[in-house]
Amino acid sequence: MAKPHKITGVEPTHSYRKNARVILPQKVEEVYSWEPFIWEAARREELHNMRISVKRLRYTMEFFSVAYGLRKKCSKTVSVTSDKRFAEFLEVIVDWQEILGDIHDSDVVLEVLADYASQSGNQTEQDAALPGVTKLIARTQESRKADYKTFLEKWERLSATGFKKKLLSFLTS
Amino acid sequence: MVKEPKIKKVSPDEPLESCARQIIVDYFRKMMSYKEGAEEGADIEFVHEMRVTSRRLRTAMDNFADCFPEEAFKKHHKKIKTITRIMGAVRDLDVLIVRFQRELDTLSGVERADIRGLIEHLQCEQEEARKPMLTLFAKLEETNFEKKFLKFFRK
Repeated sequence: MAKPHKITGVEPTHSYRKNARVILPQKVEEVYSWEPFIWEAARREELHNMRISVKRLRYTMEFFSVAYGLRKKCSKTVSVTSDKRFAEFLEVIVDWQEILGDIHDSDVVLEVLADYASQSGNQTEQDAALPGVTKLIARTQESRKADYKTFLEKWERLSATGFKKKLLSFLTS
Repeated sequence: MVKEPKIKKVSPDEPLESCARQIIVDYFRKMMSYKEGAEEGADIEFVHEMRVTSRRLRTAMDNFADCFPEEAFKKHHKKIKTITRIMGAVRDLDVLIVRFQRELDTLSGVERADIRGLIEHLQCEQEEARKPMLTLFAKLEETNFEKKFLKFFRK
């Protein structure tokens, strides 16, 4: 698992709100640092690392949610709009985390099934001596393929709408 | 499930340092509240919650590292990382066992037999994976880790 990117520019004496605008964009960049690798389904390690970075972004957004809500002198309307937009962005991040999680779960299951088959003396996944294992390998490969396709479709759809730019603009505003 | 400590809301206009201390202490307390249940092992959700909370805690510590003296901070951070890793090994096996148990209903009799064998194999691994967890918990007690951690972050 890749280490988190070192956060820079934090000022402990500055407000929580101000530091949110320093830390969160860096978390977004960490997620996007894995983007060049997502176009190949076999990049298991990088997809896993992206999932971990997405999780870090999600948790950090949750810590800082309070920094994107009501400001003392703001009108109620401004606060509600801001909260709603924050929740919408967070929903996308949670969705990425879940689908990347499903892909990772499939990768782990496939590894466990293959290891078990080889320990049991079956060299190939097609070996019919373990029909249950063979069936689950086929089933898991299918669901992994479907999840990966869904992930890419969602990613491309969001990219086409300039999601990263919008997210960064919101988080630094 | 035990009643978990609440994560209090911080004030966004407060200095980061005081908010960071509060968040880290709250998540640490929450994480430790699952320890007893994880130790008992009757409900796999305790291990899950302890692991997830340790991840949240680590993320907070990574984000707020600059608020604390480096050397002592690193020691505490390393320990939390160890907790996540050891809990992760147990949780991964819990998840696999549940997943394969669920799959049993979808398989024919002959297919079920080898998946049952796989589940038994994973259950043995799970027993092994719990040993380092129990050793870690004992060590946390012995070294008074909880008290030291809270003393450092509470200030």
